[in-house]
Amino acid sequence: MNNPSQNLKTLSILNRTADSKKLSTFLAAYISSNNIPGYIHDDLRLAIEETFINITNYAFDIKGAYPVDIEARRTTDTISITIIDSGIAFNPLLDCDKRIENNEHCEGGMGIHIIKSLTDKQEYNRINQRNVFTVTKHYTHQHN
Amino acid sequence: MSLEISITPEADNSKRIAIKGSLDSNTAPELQQIIDAEINDTTTVTIFDFKDLDFLSSAGLRVIFKTKKIMEKNGGKFLLVNLQPQIKKVFEIIKALDGMNVFKDQDEMDDYLTAMQNKVKEEN
Repeated sequence: MNNPSQNLKTLSILNRTADSKKLSTFLAAYISSNNIPGYIHDDLRLAIEETFINITNYAFDIKGAYPVDIEARRTTDTISITIIDSGIAFNPLLDCDKRIENNEHCEGGMGIHIIKSLTDKQEYNRINQRNVFTVTKHYTHQHN
Repeated sequence: MSLEISITPEADNSKRIAIKGSLDSNTAPELQQIIDAEINDTTTVTIFDFKDLDFLSSAGLRVIFKTKKIMEKNGGKFLLVNLQPQIKKVFEIIKALDGMNVFKDQDEMDDYLTAMQNKVKEEN
């Protein structure tokens, strides 16, 4: 039960705003089917919506429909959502000031602040020309 | 995950905007269109009622802040009422409640508006 790969669920969507609804439905179903406490849902929904919208707005210089892959994993006390896109290399965890110094955009400043506040761990990697961003949240089972 | 918006004109060119559902990247443009059509330099008070709002993202926050800016520029009042815990949490994360007129419920807001109107009458 502690092996995250045993609990892996995936979703492939496109880099369009409307697909955030599919992402939200996917998250709700994953949380429900894995007996993860419901209080986790609101925080994680907002964190991944902010991540996804950042991708739809900024990841691709050339307009078009590009796939965005979602992976959900859990252990007995954590849930992790990974969002993968093939857009321009972009680490959302870099501070806004740093990005401005590098003449990079910083429109998502409010979004990344929300993501950091609502999740316990955030990790960015550039793997095979793709941005791989994972947020993790700890949970405890509530007993009545 | 849809959004329902109802606008109630109130006394003295005030507008109450009640928002139900999810104010996110999909629905924020709809609210922005309504704000653009309904709020202008004759609007004295704009009230956002969040009693039935269950999700708010940064896209929605941007519409709210833009409306606040318009009201402040025009010398009007901008009020928020009935923030549910999950919505209040988002405002707190980005430290946006300071300097905002936020009321826990209708009664508290009514007291504020009555006091404001009495003050205006006294000044006149």
